Amino acid sequence: MGLTRREMLMAGGVGSAALSSAFLASGLAGAHDETAEFVARHTGGKATESDRVHLIMPAVFPTGYTVPMDLKVDSPMTEDDHVKRIRVFAPQNPLIDVASFNFVPQRSIARVSTRIRLAKPQYVVAVAEMSDGALLMTKTWVDVATNGCI
Amino acid sequence: MTTPTPRVLVPSGATKGEVFQVRTIISHQMETGLRHDVQGRVIPRKIINRFVCRYGGVEVFSVDLHEAVSANPFIEFYLLAMESGRLEFIWEEDGGSTYRLEHQLAVA
Repeated sequence: MGLTRREMLMAGGVGSAALSSAFLASGLAGAHDETAEFVARHTGGKATESDRVHLIMPAVFPTGYTVPMDLKVDSPMTEDDHVKRIRVFAPQNPLIDVASFNFVPQRSIARVSTRIRLAKPQYVVAVAEMSDGALLMTKTWVDVATNGCI
Repeated sequence: MTTPTPRVLVPSGATKGEVFQVRTIISHQMETGLRHDVQGRVIPRKIINRFVCRYGGVEVFSVDLHEAVSANPFIEFYLLAMESGRLEFIWEEDGGSTYRLEHQLAVA
């Protein structure tokens, strides 16, 4: 006797569950892997996600022409322990570099605000280069309603 | 395009060791190099590509700006008040033009 209908259905059920969980996993985890890869390509180093880097942007914004961006890194800004610069990227823009903010220990604080253009909804990525060479990164999702790049 | 006009908002005085806020803006269309004119030709890129702040002659903060910074670039940053002195703000544009503002800071 061959497989029963019950066995066939169960095999199908397990198979599709495995397939859909694979899709889900790649959808979420894939975003992290892609970002890490992207940062490695553009900074030449390996960045670690850090909650010391605060990239504050609106989750939803009506225009892509002038999206507010607040950026801050928790750091004492001493000679021995400071942020050298923070680079911001918009990977889904036609030109992905946004800006690079350069700081001086004991003179400036690692905190800036500006307004940027986004072409479409995407993760904006910030990578802080520390005085000891470490790269700390964070990203935030911004859903813009219009293309601010053209 | 009218001449880019920079404006700065910075306190006239601060206490030594205190962090003070500086807000800057410069009127500038920031042509990204991605737009086309009515004939279909690409309008060349022309942006403010660098901003530098000097305090008592020492560079204390700077930004390298790219096309994705919005038009009329607004930059807000924070400095430590060290000594009374001159704050210089310099914007550099594609093509070499620079725009500057100065401000005297009294530190008690």
